[in-house]
Amino acid sequence: MAPRFIEAIENRVVPASAFALGVARVAVHATFLISVLIASFSALGRLPITILRPTGAMRLLPWGFYEQLLTPTGMMILKLAMVVSLVAGMLGFFTPISIKSSFVLVVFYQGLLRSFGHFNHDEMLGIYCLAVLAFTPCGDEFSLDKRLRRNRKDRPAFAYAYPILLMQLLMAWVYFSSALVKLRVAGLTYLSQNNLPALAIYHSLDNLHDTSFRVAFWLPQIKSYLPIFVALVLLWEFFFPLAVFFPRLRWLILGGGVAFHLSTLFIMNIFFPHQLALYLLFVNWDRFSKPRPDAALNRASAVLT
Amino acid sequence: MTRLYLKYAVLTVAIFVPLIWAFVNIQNVYPVATWNVMMAGGLLERGRSYWILRGETVSGETIDIRPMSLTNAMYARTWTMVNATVDNQSFKLPNPYPANAELMKQAGGLEHLPPGARVPDLLRAWGDLYNERLPASSPQRLKAIRLDMYRWEGGDFANYDKFIESWRQDL
Repeated sequence: MAPRFIEAIENRVVPASAFALGVARVAVHATFLISVLIASFSALGRLPITILRPTGAMRLLPWGFYEQLLTPTGMMILKLAMVVSLVAGMLGFFTPISIKSSFVLVVFYQGLLRSFGHFNHDEMLGIYCLAVLAFTPCGDEFSLDKRLRRNRKDRPAFAYAYPILLMQLLMAWVYFSSALVKLRVAGLTYLSQNNLPALAIYHSLDNLHDTSFRVAFWLPQIKSYLPIFVALVLLWEFFFPLAVFFPRLRWLILGGGVAFHLSTLFIMNIFFPHQLALYLLFVNWDRFSKPRPDAALNRASAVLT
Repeated sequence: MTRLYLKYAVLTVAIFVPLIWAFVNIQNVYPVATWNVMMAGGLLERGRSYWILRGETVSGETIDIRPMSLTNAMYARTWTMVNATVDNQSFKLPNPYPANAELMKQAGGLEHLPPGARVPDLLRAWGDLYNERLPASSPQRLKAIRLDMYRWEGGDFANYDKFIESWRQDL
């Protein structure tokens, strides 16, 4: 039943080629690679271990391990390992190994960051995408492995389409469950006119956030209109799963997502760059891989006439 | 083909079952997440504390310092790192770091620790990182760094900056 369902949507809503899955591999690895490259690991290694609060699975590691790691040298070794693994995963080099090592290293590094701060969610979707990629043949195309080895195992389109569908469903879950949790916890009081200004101002008072925009202090002046804006955001989150199954709605919903995440940056000084980058998973990359002579011909004739 | 279906079925279950558990319980247990970002909304009546990091330069100026520029890897988590440090949360672990356990023992228990018992450690790390970027003769180097705590009592969109206390660390 399930495979028939997948076959029905292959190439209609989810690209079904090894190339498309390869591009997804590049997008996810490149997102984490960029964030690792711009992060100062040596500075992170200077933070005192006395304020570390290992969270979740990070509590399985002994304090002696963190003592060795939380030094500029220890953190630079971690950074080097991550860069090597993520570059190999991005390029599709020794893919079966590099995608798994990238997954493990990113889970560890993100857990370390959350052990100093809080369980924020920006990178979590990317972590789950790495988990999906780690168990899929995402190096069959668009990879150095493909160039170096001529023989590739023939696989059905399902092998490539389903992981992409799974990653899109994960993103849909992120937004859908977020809307449901808000309604479960706060109910309709979430739509009170003081909700957004109070939250936004709180996140604009200190100098510890990503940015220091002051738009929030203007919100109380228009607070009677804000419940409409908040309700629209909740509806957008609730209906995000439609972006997976209805390609015509996809760009409208994703466009709404870009606008939403940019608005949180300016209004609340909170940004989700990793999650935004993963919108690339919704692009039908097969359109870019297959030559379309008819389309080229049409364009040429349009130019000529 | 059947093996492939089975493999992907296991992968799907392995990912979604923990996510649904976290959603039902509204609980984050790393790396299992529930997307409870800002789920409670902002109650205007609730008071809130916040912090501003400042430095005192050799030339006598007081300047605002954005920690993002010192430990950028922490980015969106910096404010909660400070929040947790002021609240002594690293002492509340089931198995605290040995030096923290020792400090707690000397103080006579968690309840006898002053707020922000480890804030000086954090301030020294940030202060040293800041100074290392400047030449030894620079008047912009810090002689001290401090964390100023303020409170917005709530109830109204005004009076955001009631000063509460400050932690200061000489460098």
